Amino acid sequence: MARSGPTSPDRGAARRPPGWLGPGVLAAAVVAWEGAARAGWLVPFYFPAPSRLADTLRELLVVGFPQGVGMGTHIGVTLGRIAQGYALAIALAIPAGLLIGWVPALDRLALPVVTFCRSVATLSLLPLAIAWFGVGELSKVLLIAYACFWVVLANVVAGVKYVDPLLVRAARSLDTGPAGIFLRVALPAALPRAFAGMRVALGVGFMTIVGVEMVGTIQGLGALILEARTFFRSDVTLVGMAVIGLCGLALSTLLERLERLLLPWHRGLESVRR
Amino acid sequence: MSGRRRGDVWLSVAGAAGVILAWEAVARSGAVSPAVFPPPSVALGGSLHRLSPGELGQHVGASLLRIGWGFGIGAGLGVVLGIALGWYRWLAALVGPLVELVRPIPPLAWIPMAIVWFGLGEPSKVFVIFLGAFFPVFTNAYKGMTSIDPVLLRAAQTMGLAGPRLLFQVAIPAAMPDLATGIRVGWGLSFAVVIAAELIAADRGMGFMIMRAREFGDVGVIVFGILLIGTTNLVTDYAIGGVIRRRLGRWHPI
Amino acid sequence: MARIEVQGVAKQYAEGEGGLALDGIDLAIQDNEFVTLVGRSGCGKTTLLNVIAGLVAPSAGEVRVDGRPVTGPGGGKGMVFQQHALFPWLTALGNIEFGCKSRGVPAGERRAIAAQLIELVGLRGSEAKYPIELSGGMQQRVAIARALALDPEILLMDEPFGALDELTRIEMQDELLRVWSSRKKTVVFVTHSIWEALVLSDRVVVLGGRPGRIRLDLPIDVARPRERTDPRLTGLYGEIWAYLS
Repeated sequence: MARSGPTSPDRGAARRPPGWLGPGVLAAAVVAWEGAARAGWLVPFYFPAPSRLADTLRELLVVGFPQGVGMGTHIGVTLGRIAQGYALAIALAIPAGLLIGWVPALDRLALPVVTFCRSVATLSLLPLAIAWFGVGELSKVLLIAYACFWVVLANVVAGVKYVDPLLVRAARSLDTGPAGIFLRVALPAALPRAFAGMRVALGVGFMTIVGVEMVGTIQGLGALILEARTFFRSDVTLVGMAVIGLCGLALSTLLERLERLLLPWHRGLESVRR
Repeated sequence: MSGRRRGDVWLSVAGAAGVILAWEAVARSGAVSPAVFPPPSVALGGSLHRLSPGELGQHVGASLLRIGWGFGIGAGLGVVLGIALGWYRWLAALVGPLVELVRPIPPLAWIPMAIVWFGLGEPSKVFVIFLGAFFPVFTNAYKGMTSIDPVLLRAAQTMGLAGPRLLFQVAIPAAMPDLATGIRVGWGLSFAVVIAAELIAADRGMGFMIMRAREFGDVGVIVFGILLIGTTNLVTDYAIGGVIRRRLGRWHPI
Repeated sequence: MARIEVQGVAKQYAEGEGGLALDGIDLAIQDNEFVTLVGRSGCGKTTLLNVIAGLVAPSAGEVRVDGRPVTGPGGGKGMVFQQHALFPWLTALGNIEFGCKSRGVPAGERRAIAAQLIELVGLRGSEAKYPIELSGGMQQRVAIARALALDPEILLMDEPFGALDELTRIEMQDELLRVWSSRKKTVVFVTHSIWEALVLSDRVVVLGGRPGRIRLDLPIDVARPRERTDPRLTGLYGEIWAYLS
């Protein structure tokens, strides 16, 4: 009768669901899945059993798929591509963002270009990239860089543009000139937003590489899961998907830790522009 | 005041025009072969010659239809589940972990399994788009529901509201801004996903159009397709933003 | 010659009658005087303070400090704001040193000045804390110390205790008087609390109406330290209240 949401007042600890419920549900789901597979209710090709997937994981780590290309290699290749594209994007987007955010005229000038380029689906550039740069690593890295660049740029610009004017006023009352205000107020004030953008960009880069690797490559996680389907190895695909998910989680956790380390003075959620 | 505004608009227009003109100039200069780097005039003109309006319409229509379905189901489910899980703590405890488990997997990574389950036709693409739309909408709906100012709920309760009436008359309206953000993000993501899906496995649609053009070495159509996708994305996003602004803008600072 | 001279200052923000925030302000503030500007919200007292500070240029008239016209902020005019405006990425010490760093004061000297001020405002032990780790009262102490670090002749304070709870506010008022008595400065203080004005100032200037004009300029001839329950203050309260209504 009475509702019991997380925002419910006076519900009390007695009604709060136990902590073990979450993992319990997951465990139950896995068990149910295994049971259904064993009982023959699931077609193995469409829904391989969890036990089968465990074996597949071992196989991928030791033997690899295709033969000789281990899971480690796939992960390494994918992460390597992301790393290069991401680094390139940040190296360009941060200085550009600082400049555009600080000089209003540049912001107006760049606005239509930035808005449009952000709306271009990165993967739609894949055929063009191949036409210009071939099917090698360069086109992949550039695509990742493209995807990450606009997100970081938008956030750095916003971070600089929306520095609390009160802080600027305070700095001016403390005999700080324009250069001082830019370097010692605008820059540090923009950091949290810039970091938020970098976090989102990593996720975007990750998403992009998976798609990029599905076209014309045999190495990398995206390639792995697509290739496997061609050979009717849906179990490999599922394991690959899980690995992709875990890598994504690991990367974002890494960035979060880094942010907490570098910005110990900042706490709280940031709104982010995509 | 208004003079400055007009100045801003002119600067923006100048920025856009500048880029287009620079592109045209560099491409025509012959520094790179026009087959590889066509000027915008050639790319657009040539494409409109090689593609009949009917064919073009078919591709754009196919893409939009897929997004429509995928987004419709994904956002719909995302809203319902996000609100339900945000309101009923027990539901969140039961279903939440399953959602969290699936979330880290990017929608595109589902393409191979989608093909396994649904074949190469429309359903597999709609499924992937559904996933692309679902998560942002769900996450934002959930966040919106769980970050409602408790004061609002308490005030409503003192006026005798409880249960479903409290949910629909107070909680959901309060969560609207976050929900709207989720829908906007979800749409943008659906767009990116559909193009990718069409690049990888399709026989119709804007992504497919570009892919086929590459096989024929027709860079002009590729460029045209890219611009078309970007423009369609912008226009639809602007439309959605407009609707949101009209519904929410009166009481919520945009 | 008065320390601060405000002559015929007016400020127009927008076209037409409604946009005139201040009109015909004439004010002379003596050296080491503690003057408070009181009035309702929107009466222009913050605007006037910003004009004196040099953050906002008046539409008419001028402000002179030590005979020289005010052209910009800083330069001997320290400021404390209602929202502390501390730089969140700097520790308490870092914030206090900020102005010195802007002026190019060498690190050792900066550190010494900041340490002294931390002591003065009673924040020993909190030097390395970030603003987010400090309470409201502590944040304002840092803000005051930061403004004092450049040893300004004038201290401009814009409702600095407005965001604090009543008890902390009373504490801070006493703190401010203590700091002021040890480092005499000319203070222009803005508040909408009549009581605060009576407890702190040598002179209360009441602003009112739209556009804001000076309605009352009342000297407070009660010796410090003042008792908050002093009947003379109550009487003055009545006078000021009458002008504000």
